[in-house]
Parts: sequence; structure tokens; C-alpha cells
Amino acid sequence: MKHSSSTAALGIIANPASGRDIRRLTSRALVFPTVEKVNMIERLLGAFAATGVQRVLMMPDLVGIAAGLLRAVEGRRGQGEAAWPEVEFLDMPLTDSALDTQRAVERMRAAGVAAIVVLGGDGTHRIVAGACGETPLATLSSGTNNAFPDLREATLTGLAAGLFAAGAVTPDEALVRNKRLRLQVGEREELALVEVCVTHLEHVGARAVWDPSSIAEVYAAFAEPDAIGLSSIVAGVSPVGRRQPQGAWVHCGGEGHGMLAPIAPGLVVPVPISASGLLQPDQPVALRSLRGSVALDGEREIELDGRQTATLTLELDGPLSLDVPATLDAAIRRGALHHPAMGRP
Amino acid sequence: MARKITYQQAINEALDQEMSRDQNVIVMGEDVAGGAGSPGEQDAWGGVLGVTRGLYHKHPGRVIDTPISESGYVGAAIGAACCGMRPVAELMFVDFLGVCFDQIFNQAAKFRYMFGGKAETPVVIRAMYGAGFRAAAQHSQCLYNIFTHIPGLKVVVPSNPYDVKGLLIQSIRDNDPVIFLEHKALYTMEGEVPEESYAIPFGEAAVVREGHDVTIVAIGRMVLKAQEAAAELQKQGIHCEIIDPRTTSPLDTDTILESVEKTGRLIVVDESHPRCSMASDIAGLAAERAFSSLKAPIRQITGPHSPVPFSDALEELYIPSAAHIVAAAKSLKEFR
Amino acid sequence: MTKALTRDDLLKAYRTMRTIREFEERLHTDFATGEIPGFVHLYAGEEASATGVCMNLTAEDHIASTHRGHGHCIAKGVDPVGMMAEIWGRKTGTCKGKGGSMHIADLSVGMLGANGIVGGGGPLVCGTALAAKLRGQPYVSVCFFGDGASNQGTIFEAMNLASVWNLPVIFLAENNGYAEATSSKFSVACDNIADRASAFGMPGITVDGFDFFAVYEAAGAAIERARKGGGPSLVEVKLSRYYGHFEGDQQTYRAPGEVQNIRDTKDCLLQFARRVTANGQISQAELDAIDAEVKALIDGSVAKAKSDPKPSEADLLTDVYVSY
Repeated sequence: MKHSSSTAALGIIANPASGRDIRRLTSRALVFPTVEKVNMIERLLGAFAATGVQRVLMMPDLVGIAAGLLRAVEGRRGQGEAAWPEVEFLDMPLTDSALDTQRAVERMRAAGVAAIVVLGGDGTHRIVAGACGETPLATLSSGTNNAFPDLREATLTGLAAGLFAAGAVTPDEALVRNKRLRLQVGEREELALVEVCVTHLEHVGARAVWDPSSIAEVYAAFAEPDAIGLSSIVAGVSPVGRRQPQGAWVHCGGEGHGMLAPIAPGLVVPVPISASGLLQPDQPVALRSLRGSVALDGEREIELDGRQTATLTLELDGPLSLDVPATLDAAIRRGALHHPAMGRP
Repeated sequence: MARKITYQQAINEALDQEMSRDQNVIVMGEDVAGGAGSPGEQDAWGGVLGVTRGLYHKHPGRVIDTPISESGYVGAAIGAACCGMRPVAELMFVDFLGVCFDQIFNQAAKFRYMFGGKAETPVVIRAMYGAGFRAAAQHSQCLYNIFTHIPGLKVVVPSNPYDVKGLLIQSIRDNDPVIFLEHKALYTMEGEVPEESYAIPFGEAAVVREGHDVTIVAIGRMVLKAQEAAAELQKQGIHCEIIDPRTTSPLDTDTILESVEKTGRLIVVDESHPRCSMASDIAGLAAERAFSSLKAPIRQITGPHSPVPFSDALEELYIPSAAHIVAAAKSLKEFR
Repeated sequence: MTKALTRDDLLKAYRTMRTIREFEERLHTDFATGEIPGFVHLYAGEEASATGVCMNLTAEDHIASTHRGHGHCIAKGVDPVGMMAEIWGRKTGTCKGKGGSMHIADLSVGMLGANGIVGGGGPLVCGTALAAKLRGQPYVSVCFFGDGASNQGTIFEAMNLASVWNLPVIFLAENNGYAEATSSKFSVACDNIADRASAFGMPGITVDGFDFFAVYEAAGAAIERARKGGGPSLVEVKLSRYYGHFEGDQQTYRAPGEVQNIRDTKDCLLQFARRVTANGQISQAELDAIDAEVKALIDGSVAKAKSDPKPSEADLLTDVYVSY
């Protein structure tokens, strides 16, 4: 194992708000407590330390993730445990909103981190992807409710990110390119990583979408049969893989045939489908409904007043992300996990 | 000759009859059935001393085991009473007041006044009290004086099987919060108790024994000690009048004062600690309102200003005895 | 699914929030003159919470409130005129001048009382919910409590009891960030009150308390679940109070500009007005008309409170008991 002082820094974004929205009530989604987010970060730090990462940039927060981590760091000092990388909290104003995540990502990018580990759901990753540019993401799902991030033990993601930061694998081996959806509503522009769902609900309200009768149309950058969420409605009719150069869409309601879809944990519901098709890259399509609200990656964000025009475009040049199995596989084949003090097998 | 049952059976019968009469009556507390969620009997205990045994099967769904969570379930009883239920919550030992007092004295006791007369809280909180079981300092206290201090609460301290049935029925039918205190040592006491349902009004003391030399006001179990002493004093030519207030709030002051005016001598026997006790309360009443009738100083016979001890040698010293009462009565009779 | 909001619902929601705001702003002004007796804890800033929750309730449902209870009272349907008289200590008040700001209750509309004891309401709603359950009625009970009360044993006991008895209770944590002058960042060990739900076997969610629509939907989902026998849940509403813990508190423990920034960017009434007018559901003129009506109502309630009689000596000892 290399312990190079030239190993690049890593960033960590942990969304304080993820894992406790209304889906805990309307379905049986996992409650994701702050203390477990802190535990995950500690496991990441342990893996970073093993790969020689010496500096980590973190987004501060007002709800206790940073505070919990500081307590953990303090606690370790007394116990003489193996050194963690130095954790540096970004000095930035906090607004307790998505703006914090966006600002933190911009600063990490400016600081030249090798990758940003993101703990959160589809919504968090969407915000990060809007600001990260070409900085790769190591995705970690906080909960069982997401399609985009990996549902994986943090130690392994930390190990892969650390190996990538240390240069033990090449970008070609470690990184994959993702698709994204660009939505234009009047003057407003938004991105989504998984799907855009137009609902009949007038207000963004509690943000989640859980009533199938409220769904008007769904556009998916990818729709895989084993993914939970609104993209599953598309997957049932027109499945599209993450790496395929197309997307897909469905219109819901009317006299269409019903499709069983796992739209949230514990919620497998029939959704009537009236039409479906593929989305080709860089070809804008107009939304059919202009009244209601639009959910981006599962959360209602935009209220349509019936007057603006709205178009949606599939793009193939979305964010880079770390392919954890490929990274670890390449690293092992290179011998990057051999410990120098114990000799070779 | 009427039927004889124990104090404990009389409580059970009162609960049973009221639960049959009114579907709004529910019984809740730790192990009032005993066995909730366990693989065996669902009515395993019927109360820690078996007082509520059998009610669980007779009144399905209305005998409710609770977690050990006194603030939680006493407060729940109070909340249920606010919407017309008539819960009887069992606190087990009155000493556990310490972990739920807020719900009783800041919530239940004050709702009616704070809310401008627009609330009724017909809750009964049952608890056992008193020394004599080697149960030591946290399971032996007599805290009726603390409840009596609080406006809005009614406090009942029955001394015999007949009273315990009639007073519990009245407590359940009463529209104010009632603290119903049962002395552990009385549970096995037998007495004549009519089978039919009857209620004894609050604030009406019982003149347990008539006499013209000394008035003895005794609370709860102390009525028995007073009776024992009075029998002895009778032999010595001293005729005691024994008054059992039965409820300390409301307190039947008229009966006490009339008796003191007749005898001119007052002993108050109260198992609790002496300071701010029922003894000092009743002594103060007589001193203020019957001063000119008094022929001798008022005597208060209470436990000492100490926690209840564990060892039988000490606990027997702690509890007021008939001998204390006899000595006090003789000294009053001889006072010049 | 939470009932979709009609135009009338939106107008009612706005009127309720505006009434609470106007009531509290007026108390803030009048308290400064020294005429209002006792302790007054204002709800201004938190209106979307009480309104969003209570729009899902009927008069048969119960709520328990806190020392910061005026908003809950108004949203649950207690008459603001009687409330104002009560706060001024008048015989015509909701509680005949015997309760005051911290004890306004009206059981006829299911309002179990503001409560001067932090955490006092949790056990009580377990009782009202138990009564509904035993009687087979579809009524729910909501316990409003703050971040301060979230650390009280009574709330933990009540959450456990509600879960083991499977009661129709919603524990509605209004986390305004401060228990008196102590930050919840210091006092709440798990930082998110909603996280505590799982320890009591119930779902816990967090919702933006400045957004009426978010609270309405989230509370609606929790209430619907409870009504159908699904059991208790914990809804944490993150919000902020505009004024101090009590009137007279200068809030020197808060960051400079903290409150003003929230008023400017997140205020629940501003957000609501902007959104319902932007999508054409309600016109600004309609909102302005409600503002004027509410102002007249509150002006009238203050004028009446000032001229109403105080209780007399004859009232001192009434209503201690039903009978004694």
C-alpha cells in the first residue's frame, strides 16, 4: 500500500435532511438517523486512512453531523487509535437549504479534491451533480429509497475513493459517465439524474410523490427494473439501462393498461399507462401537462402555473461517478491492497 | 347477619359493579391484569397484591396493563377522563407519586379552575400506602397530606371493608379527580359488606365510637389503633369518641369540632410524618375554632420525622401504637 | 392521500395564519405598554405548523398544546375574541380570566389546553386517543411540543405508551431551535427529534415548518394513518419563532439578523401568498380583503378586552371542583 504525501484530498457531502421525509409515513421507508450518517463518515475515514488519504473536506451543517463527527474525532484522540485524515470543515455561511450543498461542492471543486463522497438520496445527488463539474462522485445511498446512488457499505466506497485519490487506479478504470435530464420551465432550468415526474398536485407540499393517481407523466434518464422509485413506472414498459444512450418516457392515466410499479419502499401500486416511448439525446420534448407540479428525482420542486412552456432534454454528458466494483477489481489486480509490512502471498 | 368479606374483596367488588354499571369505567395500571404480551396467563396477577384479579375476563378490553411508566399512564387516565371516560388508574404504591406528580397536581387538579369551569376530570387514582410490611422507605409512606394540600383533588382514606366499597363507588361516580388510598395492612381485614352497590358521600366523617372524655380523630389504619386504645381506656374509666374523617379532602370539620366541643380534649392519630400533616392540620382547626372548649392541650400522635425504616425492630417503633394513644388520653384526662 | 385543498381551504388557511400573526403581533405591541399581565409566549413565525396540522382535524379530534399555545388555539377553532379577553385577565375570557395565556383551553373544540408545564401534554393525548380507540371512534389526538419538551421523560413515556397501545396519536414536534435561551443543537443529543421515533417503533419525519403545504400534507398523511388504526407517528416541524421565549426576552443569544433573514426569506405567510397568487388560485385582492377583516377582528377583540370587566371576589373560589 502506498502512503504517498501527494495523495489528493477527498470531499464528503452528507445531506443533513435526507432520510426523514414523508415517505417514512406514506410507505415504509427507512428512517435514516443523524447518528448513522456520522457512523458512515467514520467508516469512510477509516478506509481513507488505510489508503493514505490525509486531508478531507467536509460540508458543515446545523443539525449535528459535523458536531457528531467532531465528538468522534475528539474521542479518538484519547484512545490512541490509528490516525484518521485531517477533517477540515469548509468555512461557509449556512442557510439550512440545498444552497449549502451547492456551495460546499463548488468549494471542494475549487480546492481540487479527487472525488466527492456523497451520502444522501437521489435528491442530494441531484444537487451535487449540478455543481460538481468534472469532479467524480462516489455515491452512497442513505436509505433504501433511491435509484441513483449505490446502496453499499461505506467502508468499500471509502476504500475505492481512497485508492482512486492515491492514484492506484486510472480514471479510465475507475470512472463512469452518467446521463442527466435538463428541464426548462420558463426561465428556470433544473437538472435531474434519474427521472422527471409531472404530477397533478398543485403544490410542492411535502415534496414526495406517493399517490399513483397524481402522476401525469414520467421521463427517465434510466429506468432499471431493480430500481425503486418513480422510474420503475417507466421500467415496467420501456426499461433503459444506465449506460444506454437513450432515455424513456410514459404518460399515465386514462384508459391505459395498468402496470404494477414499486414507486416507494413497501409501495407496489398499479399505475395506468396511456403511452410510452424512448428519449433520444439532445432532442428537447415538450411536457404535456402545464398545470400541477414537477418532481425531480422523486421530490416535487416546481409548481406549474399553466402559463410557462416546459421542455425536457436528455443529455449524455452528466456527472462522472466512481464505479466501486471496477475500482476495487482493478486495484486488486494491480496489487494495490498488498500491505508492505506483511510480504506478498 | 350480613355477609363478611375482606377490604381487598370489597375493592374488587366495587370496581366490578361500577364497570358493569358504566362502560366508561376502565381500570389501568402496572399489572392490574398482569401478563400482557407474555406467553402464559393474561390475568396472571390481577394487581400486585391480587386486588383486581378476575376483572380482566369479566370486562374484556377494559382492564389495561401499562408499561412501568407512571407519568405516561396516569396522564393518559387524566386525558381519557377529560373526554368522558371514568378511568381508575392504579399507582400501585403511593410512593410512586414521585414519578408522576406533575400529571396529578399540575394537570388534573387544575383543569377545572384554569379552564374557567369548562372541564371535568372524573379520574380515580388508587394507591396503597402505609407502613408495617417491612417494605422500607420507598414503599411505606402515607402521603395523603400532600394530596390534601392541593385544591382540585379529593382524597379518600377508607379504614374498613364497608367504607372502602362505598367510598370507591362514590369516587368512580364523582366528577372530580379523586386520590383513593388503601392501607396495605387493611387488605385482609374482614367486615360486613352488603352485596348491593352503595355510595358513601365524601366529607362525612364516621363517628366510630361515642364517648364524652376525649375525642380521637384517626386516619385510615389508625382508626383500628384508636379502637384498640379506646377499649383499654374504657376499662380505666376514660370514654373516648373516635372520629374517622374517611376523606381528608373534603374534610368534615363540623363533626370534628362538635365532638371537641363536647369532650374538650383532642388527640389526632396520623401515621404520616408530623410536619404539615393531617395531625397538624386538624390540631390547627381545633385550636382556631374550638379553643374555648379545650380543657387540655391538643395531642398529635404521628410517625417521627424520619423515613420509614426497614428492620422490624425499628418499624414497630415508627408506627403509632395503641399504647401511645392510651398514654396520651390519660395525660389529657389528668391535665389540670 | 391527504385531501386536496379547495379554494375555500386555501382562503381558510390564509385567514387562520393571518389571524394568528395579527393576534401575536398585536400582543407584542400591547405587551410593551405594560398593560398585559403575566407571561406571554408568542407563536408568530410558526403559523404554518398549527394551521397545516389543524386543517386536517375536526372538532372531535383533540390537541394538547404548549406554553406557546395561542396559534394552536386559533387553528383549532377557539374564539380569538375570548382568547384576547382571557390574556387581558377579563371575566369574559375563554377561561373567565382564571387561566391566562398559558392555560387557554376549550374542550368543546377539542383543545385540551395550552400548558405551562413543558412536556405536560404527551400523556394527556394518550388518554384522549385511548378513549377514542376504546369507543371505536375514528378520532385522533395531536400533541404539540417543542424541542425543549422533546427531552422530557413525559414525552418519551407517552411515545412508548402510544406505540404499545397502538393509539391514534401524532407527536408534533415544533423545533424552533431554542428551548428558552438554549439551542437545540446543544440540548437535543440526536439533533433531529424525528430520529427518536424509531426507538419507539413509529415512523418519524421532518418537514419544513415555514411551508404550509408541506406541513398540511405531512401531518395529513400522519393523521390519516392514525385514523385508519395505523398507530402513532412523530412529525418534526422545523421552524422559527420571531419573538423571544417570552415577551421581554431580547434574544441576545440569537445571531444578529437571524430573525430578520427568516422573516425576509422564509416567512410562511409571504410564501403562501406568493404561491397561491402565482398559480392564479387566489387573487391578491382576496388576500388583502382577508388582511383587513382580520385586522378589524383583532382591533375589536382588544377594544372589547380593554373594556370588559375583570372577575370579582365572588369568582375566586368557584370552579375549583365540580362539587365539594
